[in-house]
Amino acid sequence: MLRRYSRLLGVQLRASSLLAMQYRGDFLLEGVISLFWTFTAMVPLLVVYGERQAIAGWSFGEALLVVGWFTLLQGVLEGAITPSLNGVVEHIRKGTLDFVLLKPADAQFLVSTTRFEPWRSTNVLTGVAIFVYSFHLLGRGPSIPGLLASVVLLGTSTLLLYSMWILTVSAAFFVVKVDNLTYFFQSIFDAARWPSSVFKGPLAFVFTFLIPLALMTTFPAEAMLGRLPLRALVAAVVGSIVFAFISRRVWLRSIGHYTSAGG
Amino acid sequence: MISVRGLRKHYKVHKRPPGLKAAFRSLFHREYTTVKAVDGISFEIRAGERVGFLGPNGAGKTTTLKVLSGLLHPSEGEVRVDGHVPRHREEAFLKKIMLVMGQKQQLLWDLPPAETFELNRAIYDVPQAQFKQTVDELVALLELEELIQKPSRQLSLGERMKCELAAALIHRPRVLFLDEPTIGLDVSMQVTMRSFIKAYTERHGATLILTSHYMDDVAALCPRIVVIDKGALSYDGGLDALVQRVRPEKRVMFRLEQPVEAARLTSLGRVVSHEPGSAVLQVPPEAVSATISRALSSLPVTDLTVENAPLEEVMSELFAENKARRASVAGEVGS
Amino acid sequence: MSLRNTVRAFPSLLRVGFSEALAYRAELHVWVLSTTMPFIMMALWTAVARDEPIGPYNAEGFVGYFLATFVVRQLTGAWAAWQINYEVRQGTLAMRLLRPISPLWAYAAENLGAVPMRVMVAVPVAIFSVLVVGEQAVPREWWGWPLLLVTLLGGWLITFLANVCIGTMALFMESSNHVMDVWLVLFFILSGYMFPVSLGPPWLSALVDWLPFRYQIGLPVEVMTGRHELPETLLLLARQWIWVLVLGTLAVTLWRRGLRRFAAYGG
Repeated sequence: MLRRYSRLLGVQLRASSLLAMQYRGDFLLEGVISLFWTFTAMVPLLVVYGERQAIAGWSFGEALLVVGWFTLLQGVLEGAITPSLNGVVEHIRKGTLDFVLLKPADAQFLVSTTRFEPWRSTNVLTGVAIFVYSFHLLGRGPSIPGLLASVVLLGTSTLLLYSMWILTVSAAFFVVKVDNLTYFFQSIFDAARWPSSVFKGPLAFVFTFLIPLALMTTFPAEAMLGRLPLRALVAAVVGSIVFAFISRRVWLRSIGHYTSAGG
Repeated sequence: MISVRGLRKHYKVHKRPPGLKAAFRSLFHREYTTVKAVDGISFEIRAGERVGFLGPNGAGKTTTLKVLSGLLHPSEGEVRVDGHVPRHREEAFLKKIMLVMGQKQQLLWDLPPAETFELNRAIYDVPQAQFKQTVDELVALLELEELIQKPSRQLSLGERMKCELAAALIHRPRVLFLDEPTIGLDVSMQVTMRSFIKAYTERHGATLILTSHYMDDVAALCPRIVVIDKGALSYDGGLDALVQRVRPEKRVMFRLEQPVEAARLTSLGRVVSHEPGSAVLQVPPEAVSATISRALSSLPVTDLTVENAPLEEVMSELFAENKARRASVAGEVGS
Repeated sequence: MSLRNTVRAFPSLLRVGFSEALAYRAELHVWVLSTTMPFIMMALWTAVARDEPIGPYNAEGFVGYFLATFVVRQLTGAWAAWQINYEVRQGTLAMRLLRPISPLWAYAAENLGAVPMRVMVAVPVAIFSVLVVGEQAVPREWWGWPLLLVTLLGGWLITFLANVCIGTMALFMESSNHVMDVWLVLFFILSGYMFPVSLGPPWLSALVDWLPFRYQIGLPVEVMTGRHELPETLLLLARQWIWVLVLGTLAVTLWRRGLRRFAAYGG
């Protein structure tokens, strides 16, 4: 069965690549605008650090690492996750989700692999470039075990983002007219641009446990700086797996509701 | 092959009355009504049969098809397709069926149909050799040679429907559910689709359920029809038998050499239409031969045909009968 | 397209716009919930100002500023650019052109129609701001209130007219949604949305004074929190309304030219 699903993935990837080549002008333009946004969004950071040396315990170079992780994850999000799941909302609106449900393969898998946008990898490259620049500013390199930990955290962050998206899309089964889920999701994700210690009180709780943005960008940055405790890494891995499990259950429940409530 | 017993499908829908005040009120208090899309239907279909579902819009035909293909859960009743319970959506079950919906499509929009074929092959796990054979057969039968490499969005509606049908058959389903497949197509395309579907089902022994508003589809393809009206089964049997029951009168169409006054026609039977060069009479079946011989002797007839009443009229009359019956039942209950 | 006809029809256009906004309230909720930036910035800037104030703003000042930013954003939002692009692509613009009223009035009514629902969100937030921050949150002088209304209207007009200008570009090129994206990026940085304009380096503040973005958000927020004295407020208001005039003229010109081209090429 694994072989069958990996073959399926291959076919879907090929279809996406064909599409990416056909519309390369459009996609490239969107990638450029995304980068433009990345850099202009750093302006507040510059203004803030124009006034202070450290914010909530983070120096400019260190905060830049968080921005780098944000950019990288945004590339993963917009390249691999958002395009497919936008497709689900389209399907629900046009009534063609039935075709997906008719197929003898897992609906969540089919729906999540429909569309990839390989041009968004420019964000990933930019993220890496930002890392290089940050460490140049900091005057040292990342710790090696920290670097490995941050790669693990890349995996957990991707899983977390994906699960959050599945939860958001499952909502679309109940409230069909939600056209702007992408915008909503990105607006929430915007908080991950800043080191999580900036948020205090109830917001800190929300952004650590409910919408775990802190895990996604602050943890990997801390790992690279060599100051992430091991138990935090373990918590991130366990937490993301639990989150994925919960989102899968919600998805199955939502599909069940769709089929019994009449689609 | 297909067994349906006591199928019911009810929806709870909240009422959304128009107007600003009502909209505000509905923010706080929701009212629900129950819509009975399907209200107690039972039938059996054998393997290899071709059955047409007929009924007015909103009668429950599409709902029944969706229940049969596992897309909807029934509120009550037992449904079995080839031994499977559709609601469970077992992989083996899904590989045996196909649902084609005339107004919605599964073809990838920006890519050629050939890509959708490939995708379906991977999803349905079709062996390479069988896939090639199937595609060749479909391309030949439907004349898709030049179409399958063009992006779907560049095809006309008729071409798309043909490709849509081909994509649906990649995995050689044993049970076909076709929901208004010929809607919006021009006449020659409808004929092509019909002959293809007939050839395919005969060749592969597939079971077919077809819903359509075009009576010609049903007449050409389905020896047996099931009429569903307001969620209930109204008739189940052969098409000819239905016509006999509802509108047994025959239509006799005359071609006339020269115009004839109305009076000479009305003496022969009920006049349906009267033109300078032709006339159509509606005649009870027992009186057909007598009427024809009288007409031939008294009118300047150059050509003549005898037909059943048009199916559209038969169906309208059936639905009108049903409606009247429902109204009288409601009246009795009320009083 | 007589003016009298338009004036008579506008109230019903508004009413229709309001009913539509009501019908699409689920989407409206999503839009409102998506306005997270003021709160994120609030967290960031209060963290920065925790120990000592930055310029004229201390931690409380930032809270008042960004709550006001949220309120102003709700009341001055417009999405006509997206609407025009969509209708050109779907072909429904042609149908609007059949009517004896310019579609621009219809767009204005539809965008304005959402304001009452947004007021229902904005007012509680404003009240909350007063409770938390005290009198810093709202105008302290009597003239602050009417001028606040004027500047809010000006802010809405600039946003709407900019949307129209960019939207009409869709009549010349295939899609102007990307141009709108670029505008939004600049808007976020240069309008005072992400940080008060007075906090940037001097060259940035000077640049910002000449661009329209500041007058969409920054000025209404500053008037709401009573940042300026009367003469300065009036001067800034004048600049805002000059921008309204400029953008209005540009919008109408582009629209007329665009329609001519649209009619010639069939869109």
